[in-house]
Amino acid sequence: MGLARVRLAAAAVLFLIVLTLTFAAVTLAPGDPLAPTDPRIPPEQAERLRALYGLDQPLPAQYLRWLGAVALSWDWGQSYQTGRPAADLLLESLPPTLLLAGSALLAQYVLGIGLGLLAARRPNSWLDLGVRAASLLVYALPTFWVGLMAVLVLGVGLGLAPTGGMTSAAAFELGPLATVLDVLAHLWLPALVLGLSMAGDIARYTRTSLIEFQSTEAGRAARARGLSDTRILLVHGLSHAGPRLVQMAAVSAPLLLSGAIVAEAVFSWPGMGSTTLQAIQARDVPVVLAATAYGAVLVIAASLAADLLLARLDPRIVAE
Amino acid sequence: MYDDSVLSLRRLAVAGLAAVVGWGCSSETPRDTTQVRVGLRFDYPTPNELIAPPTLAYAAINNQLFLSLMEEQGDFRAGPPAWAASLAEGWEFSDDRLQLTVRLSPDAKWSDGRPVTAEDVRFTWLAQTDASIAWSYAQYKGAIVDVEVIDSHTARFHFNADLPTALADVSTGTILPRHAWEPRPFGEWRSDPGWFFEHLVTNGPFRLESRTAGRELVLGRNPNHLEPELPRLERVILRAVPDSTALTNQLLAGELDFAYGITAADANRIDGRPGLRLTAYSNRQYTFVVWNTRKQWFEDAATRRALALAIDRQAIVDTIWHGYAEVGSSPIISGVWAHDPELEPWPHDPAAARTALAEAGWIDNDGDGILERGGVPFRFELATYIGASARWDAVQMIQADLSAVGVDAQPRRVDANALNSRLQEQDFDAAASGFAIDTSLDFRPLFHSEEVGGLNWAAYANPELDRLIDSFANRPDPLAGRDDLHRLQRILHDDQPILVLWESMSLAAFDEELESVAPNALSPLVNLKEWAWRESGWRPPPSSS
Repeated sequence: MGLARVRLAAAAVLFLIVLTLTFAAVTLAPGDPLAPTDPRIPPEQAERLRALYGLDQPLPAQYLRWLGAVALSWDWGQSYQTGRPAADLLLESLPPTLLLAGSALLAQYVLGIGLGLLAARRPNSWLDLGVRAASLLVYALPTFWVGLMAVLVLGVGLGLAPTGGMTSAAAFELGPLATVLDVLAHLWLPALVLGLSMAGDIARYTRTSLIEFQSTEAGRAARARGLSDTRILLVHGLSHAGPRLVQMAAVSAPLLLSGAIVAEAVFSWPGMGSTTLQAIQARDVPVVLAATAYGAVLVIAASLAADLLLARLDPRIVAE
Repeated sequence: MYDDSVLSLRRLAVAGLAAVVGWGCSSETPRDTTQVRVGLRFDYPTPNELIAPPTLAYAAINNQLFLSLMEEQGDFRAGPPAWAASLAEGWEFSDDRLQLTVRLSPDAKWSDGRPVTAEDVRFTWLAQTDASIAWSYAQYKGAIVDVEVIDSHTARFHFNADLPTALADVSTGTILPRHAWEPRPFGEWRSDPGWFFEHLVTNGPFRLESRTAGRELVLGRNPNHLEPELPRLERVILRAVPDSTALTNQLLAGELDFAYGITAADANRIDGRPGLRLTAYSNRQYTFVVWNTRKQWFEDAATRRALALAIDRQAIVDTIWHGYAEVGSSPIISGVWAHDPELEPWPHDPAAARTALAEAGWIDNDGDGILERGGVPFRFELATYIGASARWDAVQMIQADLSAVGVDAQPRRVDANALNSRLQEQDFDAAASGFAIDTSLDFRPLFHSEEVGGLNWAAYANPELDRLIDSFANRPDPLAGRDDLHRLQRILHDDQPILVLWESMSLAAFDEELESVAPNALSPLVNLKEWAWRESGWRPPPSSS
């Protein structure tokens, strides 16, 4: 519990710093987010909107009012573009992002551990070399490029997956099972693309860890008991690699979220990444601030969860 | 036992994957000829246009749900835009043209069956001009001093001046439902845009069937629409696709039937593809380089003309637009009635540009390859917007062209809001930007000397041009001002406060079995109510006229 309290306090301070820096960066950037882009709209219109959104106040007053509203009622203000509460926009797009990021996490672990296992069973074989080379390659390739190629080849070319969106048109007419299948059909390709880059890292670590385990006393004992290679690696070997793999999940959380912005753009996935990107392009300050905060909360929560899980898996962490 | 369970898991996983991938591949279903799937980049946060983002895509959708009193027609070649009956079946001006009496169609109804009345017309005007609502286009109502309800189907607009734009002013904005929206005070409209979804009745050809925020809108046929035989489709599914490449991919994969916002770079992926038709149409937009005439490099017209001669605009257009744009000669673009057809774009003539620059005093005295005048090198920043890829490409090509005549243009990308602020404050050297021409042809905001600090970014001042702009604005009959506008274009052509680079086109693509699709500059969905599938064998109902 001590560890949890310390981590929570540190997370709260970090969150406040992130909010303040983001507010400063976004509001001090040159230009007027409410300046009309249509020449037919007179400049007075921007003045009226500025007054409506409180932007005619001094910056410190804006900051305190904004922070107060966030702290007291989780009110992030109204989007300049849509007029809707920024928190609502983010809350709507959060579930698709969590679904995509969670599925990508699953994909990266299933792929990474699977390939690591294959490579570890025959170290220095052609298969092992292939896995190592492939893991380096997918790590090096940018997500947007892999995504575009996946859409062109698997989506447009072969028709194996929808090319964009989270559901088919008018999916609200589908029954529950069909809806699930429809979402999964739209999900697998972006999740795979997003998960690929980190899967290489996990494959390399799993391979190394499992090869190490086989030469330990525990590994030799398991073999002496007559257990199959598969069982030795899957059950005992992975237990050995577990704490580090959990840590890698925490490390990959921010990468997954930033990667989601790219993947969501390529696959028109209606998540936080798409919302944030559009808000940045339109200089929609309340939405950018809320998106940064939600992103920060997600990353901090993932790190915290990983820390606590790690402490459970390896009690020595608490002692440190 | 252990290996058996692993095997079972594998089988389960493979079966699951097959089901998911199989579902994803199952797009080869028979076409539903009662509906169409439309992809475009849009945001539809509220059905109340007075508090919505002032974008073309928003208006394109909203105009399917709500109608104006009169409908602007899309052909601007022959003369000023004509106005067709919409909710109003007729209208007439008083002799002094200070009053416009509008008769509403008795068939005009809201989707809940209640009639559209003159009270709705007055309520709409009150909302449009309310300061707390702060509608983006409220200035179009500036000359309307009152809207009088004569009877339930007759309203009278009172103007404070005889303006040629009176019909446009009256028709800007759609008519709102007083009985549904009046309960909410104007001061609270902006605080909850979603409220209007919960109290939505429409008077257009469609009503809103369902909505998934940020992703999809489903429009259904409005049975109370005043043209009972329309729309021909039962349902239109609008999909929000924010990325243009994704839009093209979805169209090619058969996930969309119509896509608007195709880029010229993607057009060749669609053009010639069996089953798809690509259409290009003028969007009334033009892109230009604005020279800040308060800077020493651009203070004289002779230098600005020389720069026009140095830039190969045809090469820029060919490279960037692949045939979907043309070199421009005037801010009154070539598809508009007032365009001067005798005005030719300045040719690309580097030799003539060098001579003209030398005559204007620009000489390379120190032999560094850059011209100077009065000790000042011809070196300036040429800015454009971050994310505007076509303009960025153009800026780099302009840099190369100008370099060939001894002018050092230094390209720079700037955030859109920041650059717009700098343009208004004349805190720039030169910039590539763009406008859409307004059919009122009011050039006061862009070139009148009193608008420096506003949209007259060039800080251009010419007394004759000011007089022409004022004179045209006060003519009751715009057609009679054609000569004024030709003269205006000639002055701008000679003085070159801006160099028009190109007149661009919008690109849309659709399934070739879809008929009556005719996007135009007003809207990509301008006649959506007339769209139908060829194979549906649609015929007007016997009762229709």
